[in-house]
Amino acid sequence: MTTLHLGVLLAIAWAVLTMTFLHLKAKSYGIRKLYSKPAGDPAKGVVYAFTLGMAPWAKESVMMNLPSYGAGLAFHAGVLTALGLLPVAAFRLELPSFVLFSVRLFTLAGVVGGFVLLMKRLVNPQLRGLSCPDDFVSNILGSTFALLAFAWTLSPVAEVPWMAEAMLLLIYAPLGKIRHCLFFFTTRYHLGAFFGRRGTFPPGGRFHA
Amino acid sequence: MSHTVFHGHNVELNEEGFLTDPSVWNEELALVLAKAEEGLDQLTDDHWAVIRTIRAHYLETESAPMVRSICKTTGLPLKRIYELFPSGPAKGACKLAGLPKPDGCV
Amino acid sequence: MPELDELETRLVGLTETDIQRGLEVFRSKLKAAEASYLNSCVHCGLCADSCHYHRMDSTLENIPAHKLELISSVFKRNFTAMGRIAPGLVGAKPFNREMAKAWVDAVFGRCSLCGRCSVNCTIGIALPRIFRAARAALGTMGLVPTDLQATVDNSLKHGNNMAVTKDDWVETVQWIEEELQTETGDPGAKIPLDKQGAKVLFTVNPREPKFFPLSLLASAKVFWAAREDWTLASDNGWDLTNYGLFNCNDEQAGAITQNLVDAMERLGCQTLVIGECGHGYGAARWEGPEWLRKSYPFEVKSILELMDEYLRAGRIRLDSSKNPIPVTLHDPCNLVRHGGICEAQRRVLRQAVDSFIEMTPNREHNFCCGGGGGQLAMARYKQRRIRSGGMKAKQIRESGAKIVVAPCHNCIDQLMELNKEYKLNVQIKTVAEMVADALVLDA
Repeated sequence: MTTLHLGVLLAIAWAVLTMTFLHLKAKSYGIRKLYSKPAGDPAKGVVYAFTLGMAPWAKESVMMNLPSYGAGLAFHAGVLTALGLLPVAAFRLELPSFVLFSVRLFTLAGVVGGFVLLMKRLVNPQLRGLSCPDDFVSNILGSTFALLAFAWTLSPVAEVPWMAEAMLLLIYAPLGKIRHCLFFFTTRYHLGAFFGRRGTFPPGGRFHA
Repeated sequence: MSHTVFHGHNVELNEEGFLTDPSVWNEELALVLAKAEEGLDQLTDDHWAVIRTIRAHYLETESAPMVRSICKTTGLPLKRIYELFPSGPAKGACKLAGLPKPDGCV
Repeated sequence: MPELDELETRLVGLTETDIQRGLEVFRSKLKAAEASYLNSCVHCGLCADSCHYHRMDSTLENIPAHKLELISSVFKRNFTAMGRIAPGLVGAKPFNREMAKAWVDAVFGRCSLCGRCSVNCTIGIALPRIFRAARAALGTMGLVPTDLQATVDNSLKHGNNMAVTKDDWVETVQWIEEELQTETGDPGAKIPLDKQGAKVLFTVNPREPKFFPLSLLASAKVFWAAREDWTLASDNGWDLTNYGLFNCNDEQAGAITQNLVDAMERLGCQTLVIGECGHGYGAARWEGPEWLRKSYPFEVKSILELMDEYLRAGRIRLDSSKNPIPVTLHDPCNLVRHGGICEAQRRVLRQAVDSFIEMTPNREHNFCCGGGGGQLAMARYKQRRIRSGGMKAKQIRESGAKIVVAPCHNCIDQLMELNKEYKLNVQIKTVAEMVADALVLDA
């Protein structure tokens, strides 16, 4: 392990610690004690929210925006693949060729997805109006990270910039909207519990009536 | 803010088409409102009976009468009220009688 | 527009103390769930297509995420470290007069709290929970639109939101009782008032006795056919509405809910039955116990559930051929998506009408009629309300049905306006009205 790797490790520690802090801070707002009689099971609502409730066909907004949804999936797949690739680089692991092929495919797809989303954000006036600098910074950090990971699979020359980029990304993650890597899960949990308790999730009707 | 022309004067209506100032109401204005707001070209005696009942009640109590009291005073059956005023007693009849918009789910 | 001037006067008169108090109230409405929601929007913008306001009028201001951003930008600035350190980077903004004005426009003027964006959100943010906190903050700053607040004040002062007097209410009930006797041919048919120990306390929307009593007649006829042991309250506690759900003043909302709780106690009933009203059901069934911070010692049901039970138990029988005209069903947001009652009304309708056509989309994916969230009580936003209702008008037209059944008086009023504005040429009815018409009466 080199100094560079150590730096990435420290950045990971920073990200984990600050995310934990953010999580605890949000939790410190307190759980609402509820007095109304539940009509459904919050746990079932949560399960639904994380499974079928996330299916593209469960959301009209996704079905109407499949290209954006696809770009988003690709982008996230690319960034997550690149993250998974960090220990491979640090420990100099050999990847079987089909895995290496998948890694290249996913990271490249991530770059394309990230670029498409960035362009959409720049070109679509309403989406631009909705954006703040953080949206652009976060996208560029993620896209570049996937791009450099892809480059590293082709040549070890890319390792230094890639690791440096990893540090930047990890340090920035809790500061801006990349914190959704944590809050996505807590938010979906609360949504599922809310609609589960009210008997709306899982939707019995559409599939059983 | 919307206006409707009446006798060369602009009469102020609120967004819902109710008179902003109920005191400026008169029967000619009811005809203008009937055309502008309810698409009624003319008002029958039954229309007038309902409108005058509502107006009288409003001047006395500053509120819209119950549909019960409209039926009782005019002698019209309930279903006739809805035929006369397609938008119903509140957004139809009360509006034509120059009342402000009632509160609630109307 | 005098009302706008009034609101603008209040905006101009805002002091630093008002702003601080608004922030405090806003903060006091946030729990872990809301703190999570306020940290998680990624501005993907896909929610735009879920909102009926945006679908009918595609502007930035109508994107749910933009409405949320107005609020989360203030949250960031005041309650997060990054918002204080680098406000420009993360889009954190101070809460001031301009921002308060933008909040009013967004959460009162461009949102019916229908929650369609919640189920469509990529992340899963329940946006109306945040908008409710913002409305509460604006309320404490005196920025609730006057006519919405007047409806709440009516309930607080008169025990019902249309200021119907006890005499008028009782006289109307007696009149409808006579109509019931004529219609059923049963001189013993009753609409019990203040019947001590009745099983069911039934509640109605003041709009029914005031202007549209046929729905009360229909409900009474169903109870009569099912031989239900029921009653209405003559005093406070007969009105199911609660516009405290919309001005988001939890204390006022709780005081209005208390009328129902008191009536249940006074009359010793077992089940509080909410007539066909979306927000009334949401307020009484779901939010009421939270406002009062106690569980009810009784059950709350919608009349839809009751009619469903009657049919299952064979307490009433229906002949669908009595309703041959094609019917479609509107799903009120507070009853269905936020209320969890999705199937009862469908089971009932399938037995009550010959041809039942679902709207697309439906159930938890339904479109708001445009009149929810107190929109019907805020004259200043009428144009937007009618325009946003265009989605519902389109759904109705595409269904091909000639009768729209809406188990909500608020929705019915909006649908009546849409019917006129969009020339839909449909009839609009409650579920009970369809059931009452299809009843098979024992010889």
